[in-house]
Formats: sequence, structure tokens, C-alpha cells
Amino acid sequence: MNASWWRKTVLLLVVSLLFASCSMPGKPAAPAEKAKVVIFVGFGTGTDPDQVSAQEALAKKFNGSHDNITVEFMIAPHDQATEKFLTMVAGDNAPQLVGPLGISTVAQFFDQWEDVTPYIAKDGYDMSDFYGPSVTLNKYPTLNAGLPLGLYPSFVFYNKDAFDAAGIPYPTHDFNDKNWDINAMQTIATQLTIDANGNNATSPKFDAANIKQWGYGDTYTDFRGQMTMFGAPSKGRPASNDYKTAQVNSAEWKYGAKWLHTGVHKLHFMPDAAGQSAISSSSGDPFGGGHVAIWYSHTWYMSEGLNGLPFKFDIAPLFFNQKGERIARIHADLFTIPKTAKNKDAAWEVMKWLVAPEQIMDVCAVYGCLPARKSVEELFKAKLKERYPTIDHAVIFKSIDYLDDPNHESYVPEWSKVNDTLNNTLTTIYTDPTLDTDAALDTANSDVQTIFNDYWAKHP
Amino acid sequence: MARVVSRSLAWREAVAGYLFIVPWIVGFIVFTFGPMMASLYFSFTEYDIISAPKWVGLANYMRAFGGVGAYLQTGDMRQLKDPVFWKSLQVTLYFAALSLPLNLLCSFCLAVLLNQKIFGLRIWRTIYFLPSIISGVAVTLLWLRILNPRMGILNPFLHDVLGIANPPGWLQDPDWAVPALVLMGLWGVGGSMIIYLAGLQGISTELYDAAHVDGANRWQTFWSVTFPMMTPVLFYNLVLGLIGTFQYFTEVYVATGGAGGPQRATMFYNLYLYQNAFKYFDMGYASTMAWILFVIVLCLTTLIFRSSDAWVYYEGQLRGK
Repeated sequence: MNASWWRKTVLLLVVSLLFASCSMPGKPAAPAEKAKVVIFVGFGTGTDPDQVSAQEALAKKFNGSHDNITVEFMIAPHDQATEKFLTMVAGDNAPQLVGPLGISTVAQFFDQWEDVTPYIAKDGYDMSDFYGPSVTLNKYPTLNAGLPLGLYPSFVFYNKDAFDAAGIPYPTHDFNDKNWDINAMQTIATQLTIDANGNNATSPKFDAANIKQWGYGDTYTDFRGQMTMFGAPSKGRPASNDYKTAQVNSAEWKYGAKWLHTGVHKLHFMPDAAGQSAISSSSGDPFGGGHVAIWYSHTWYMSEGLNGLPFKFDIAPLFFNQKGERIARIHADLFTIPKTAKNKDAAWEVMKWLVAPEQIMDVCAVYGCLPARKSVEELFKAKLKERYPTIDHAVIFKSIDYLDDPNHESYVPEWSKVNDTLNNTLTTIYTDPTLDTDAALDTANSDVQTIFNDYWAKHP
Repeated sequence: MARVVSRSLAWREAVAGYLFIVPWIVGFIVFTFGPMMASLYFSFTEYDIISAPKWVGLANYMRAFGGVGAYLQTGDMRQLKDPVFWKSLQVTLYFAALSLPLNLLCSFCLAVLLNQKIFGLRIWRTIYFLPSIISGVAVTLLWLRILNPRMGILNPFLHDVLGIANPPGWLQDPDWAVPALVLMGLWGVGGSMIIYLAGLQGISTELYDAAHVDGANRWQTFWSVTFPMMTPVLFYNLVLGLIGTFQYFTEVYVATGGAGGPQRATMFYNLYLYQNAFKYFDMGYASTMAWILFVIVLCLTTLIFRSSDAWVYYEGQLRGK
């Protein structure tokens, strides 16, 4: 092949390219590339197979109605979610939305989220339809992490069969009945604590080593969660308003720790560490497995714990505390936009779509939350009635009014370290029958103060 | 000319050899040596994965070792800059002191027993080896049930059969949590047992014949023939066991949900390292801990190697040579 042959070939190629570029003049130019919004799921709920398919249906619905944005759900196994998310952020490939996230997860990665306040202001976005608490809970020291999606108020579940067997009247559903307090609950719970021989915990024959049913349980939460109900000035937050002073050893938390310790080791109406481990090894579900007669938890427990139970049950308000106050924990979910994500404007559009009145019921159906919008309350109540026909749904909505603020999952500096320190105290309460709880809380307070001091020394 | 050809052949052989090991060398540099050097660098930085590492000199090492002087003077652990670091070291050393000798002894004794001519020998060997091939997580979940003070099968046995009035709370009791993990570890002695068994069967029968001719009884034969001949295998298992003990993680992570409870009684060194790296995202300090662990294991392994001259016997080798 000579040079002339090459020249001809190149010329032919150039001419054909020119023809190609000039051809089909009437055809419109290729559409602009759609902005991609990856929604990272895995920190909380959303990873079960049925949830995955429901999320894919949501993405299909969005993509079918939007020309400029494509949504894709990225599901990470729960135990790998943190590493995967951080790797994506470190690799400058942050997802556009992350969620659904609870208050604690938002708090743990507090520095990572975009403040949505400017987006709300720019769009004049109407926040008035959201329940007030759901907006408050999303506000962190220096940012508003996202639009509210769902709430998970808390109340007590009770086993009606256990009450009937003991001849005890059910707890009141009247939120104003002051007789339903911590002492009344303790008395009932002690009577509902039954050993292998059928003796209750008030009987001299009661065998504390062979308990078959405990009266009360609140073990699906951590130390902050368990202490919140006792009404310390900073409720569920172990820190002062400026986050610089530890507030673990308040009089209220000391009362709570002593009450818990006494209930576990002396009155036996709450399971100790061995009891909790035994429950976990058998059915894994304290209330649904029939191990606990009065169970304090949130609405998220309903989807996993109230299916096909072999006994009758209902829900009632949380009892008043030793100060005559009712402080019922609350959880909240939302989607957040990572600071370093690309296509943040598109992410904001998707966030708005997810919590819009038209979608929020469907989205909450996927994640099992109570929609944070007042406008869909009646619709949601109807759904609840359909699924749980025997429970008092009013308890769920009224409990929102008694939420813990500051929340028991709220931000503190070095959130995980503080929580580990406090939970170490909690395991000590559950495992050491001779513990001086006041001293234990003083020690925990000192440890948390050290963590705060180290943090503020690095972040003056 | 012959020398040139010979050299060329050797060179070609060397090149071929290096080419064969290139994949391993590349793998070692990229996946082992490189990350090791990176972690050495990170150990002098403050690094949270997301932001760029910030050089802090020896601050991480000072955090680990800070306050030791004050602690030695007062005996108060709260004087330490990071008391959990020392607690984790203490827990790990306690576990090593209990677990390592017990594992070596049990696996060695089992191997000796299963080296006898007994009925159903192969079945016995299989039975004792089988547990060692089951994964750590499954075994831990099984033991959680066995050890549970309320519903496990061990405490009723201790109480009803052995007459122990108050059996331990095992993993729920800070004093018994580490012994409970040691007990769990004995489940896997079959792995070392097989190595001992191979060693025992490699001992020349001539040595036993000679001992028999010399009038040695069974104990003398064991002590003067079997044990010295097994010391290289003991040495091997000791070194691997020591390294394995300091890397103990999976079982305690599963058993305690990664919390190291109760009351930090099972806060093993690697668990605390993991918490710093993947829970607190303090990669700089976690890297520091990894290098401190490396130095500790290196020192202990060196000590064992140095001591081996005094107690390990290699056939055909004179003591100390």
C-alpha cells in the first residue's frame, strides 16, 4: 500500500464524516443529559427485599413524570452503609440524597449535610403543613438538614391477655389521667412479672432466677433513650445548650438510673442483661414473644412486632414521670443532601417530590413511618385502621405532643464516643446488682466532659 | 564462550523466575506494603477519611501513652490520657495469658490421646477436628445460647450435676466474660490438634524402640522422646497462636454487639481499634494503634524466637547452634 492509497483513504474518511455531520438537518438535536439523583439507602430502614422493589416503583413513578431528572435508589447493606457512604464522599462521588435517616444518623455525620434553609427560602416552600415537631427535630446547631418525611412517636404496648390473667385493669387511654404515673406502672408491672411456677414478683415464693414474663421493658433504646422520660432540663441531651458542659449526672437522670437499677435487680419487673440475652436468643422480640407485658417503644415497632401475635394487645399513653410530666420519646426520618454532592438543585427537587402530599403516604408506607404532613393525617388513620383494627389510633397522634426536645438522639460533639460511654454505664446498671448508680453517673459525666474538652480543644 | 553462554542461561532463568513472582510482588506492594506505609503515615495525622489527613506529629502516640507517669504514681486509671486504650491492652493480655497456654495444652493432649491405638480412632479424630472448620460467627451464636445464664445448658449442668450453687453469669458478668471467651476458643483446638498429630506421626519409631530397649517407661519415653521431637511444632503453634490472640476480633464483636461489654470487660485491642477506625472515624489514631500492636507482637515474637534456642529441638541440630 503506497502513500497515495493512504491519502485517498483519509480523504474518504473526512468526506464521509462531513456528510454525516451535515445529514438529517430536520432532526432535532439530542436532548440535554438528565441530571442524575442517586438516593443512598442503608443507614436505617429500606433494605428489605419488599422495600427495595417498592423504592424501585417510586423511582419509576418519578422518572416517568420528569424529563430533566433521573432518580436511582442505591441500596447498601446496613452493616456496610457507613463505609460505603464515606468511601463515596471521599472519592468525590457523593450520592445526591441519603435516607431515610434518623436523628441520630444525621447527628453522627452532622458536618456532611447541606443546609436546606436557602432552598426553602428561594422556593418560598410552605412548611406549615408539617407537624411542628418534625420541623424542629430536623434543625441542628447550624443547619436544617432536610424536609420532614416521617415521625415515630412512642407509647406503651400492652398485652391484654396478661392483664386479664392477672385480673388487672388495662392502662388508661386518657392522656390527662394523672393516676397513670411511674409508680402506678411499677406496681402493675411487678404484678405482671411471673416466674416459671406462676408466682408473681410480689409473692414470697417468687423465683427471680426463673422469670418467664417481665412486667415492663424498654430495651430497644440506649441510655439516653431510657433516661429521657425522667425530665432533666436538657431532656434527652447529655450536654448544655452550648454543647460544652456534660449533663449526665442531673438529679433526674440519677433518679432514672436508680429506678432502672432497682426495677431490674430488686423488684425484677424489668429484665437484667441475662434476661435480655435470653429473650434475644429465643424469639428475639420482647413483646411479640410474650416475654414482656408492658412494652415501651415507637411506631416503627408496629410493622415488625405486631404481626400475627397469639394474644390480644393495645396501646396506651406513656405514664407520667416522677415529676408529674410526660416526656415521650420521638424518632424522625428525613432525606439529606450531602454537602459535596453534585446536582444539588436536582436533589432538592427530588426531596420535595418525596415529601409532597401526593407521595408522602406511599413513601412512608415503604419505610413504616407516620407521614409528617397534617394534611394526610385522616388518610393515614384510615390506613392504620385497615392494618391494625384493634388498637387505639388516637394514642399515636396524641403522643406527638409530648415529644422529647432536646431529643434523645440529638446532636452532641463526638456523638458516637459519648453514646458508647453512656451505654457502658447502661450495661453496668444491667449487670451489676451492687452498683452505686449515683457514683456511676458521676463517673460517666466526668468521662463525657473529657470527650467534650478534647473536642472543643480541637475545634475552638 | 562457555562462561558467556552459562551466564546468559542463568540470567534468563533469573528473569523467568522474577517474571513468575511479579504478580505476587505487585500484589504485595499494592495490597500489603503500600497500605502499611500509608497507615504508618496516617498514624502521624488526624484523618477522618473524608477530609485530607492533617499532620499532627506524635500527638496520636502521646494520646495512647500520655498520663502513664501520673498513673504509675497514683494508680488512678483516670490519669491516663486514653484509659480505654490501656483497658483494651489489659483485656487482650489477660485473654492471651489464659487462652494461649490452655489452647496449646488442650490441643497437644488431644493429639497425644488421638495418636493411641484406640477403637474408632478416625471417627474420634473427625469429631474433634470438625468444630474447627465451622466459622467464628456461627460458633459464637451457638455459644451465646450455651452460656446464657437463664436459658443456656451449661449453668444447669454446673448447678444440677456438679452442685455449683451460683454458676457464673459468663458473658453477662464482667469477671467471667473473658474466661467465657477462652472457653469458646477451646471449641477450635482441632486445628492445632491436627498439626500436632502430623508431628507425632512423623517421629521416627526407631527412637521409641531405642527408648524401649533402654528400659524407659511411658512417661520417660514421652518426656525424653515425644516432647523434644514435638517442640518445633509447639514453637510453630505458639507463634501463630500468639499472633492470632492479638488479632482476636470476630467472636467478641458478635458476642457483645461490638460494644466490648459488660463494663468494657471484653474491650479487646482490635475491637477498640475497629471502633476508632470505623465508628469514630479517627483513622489517624486507629493507625497509631495498629502500629503499636505491630511493635508489641513483633517484640513478643522476637522473644519467643530468641528463647527457642533453649527449648526447641531440631533433629540433627546441636543445642544453641
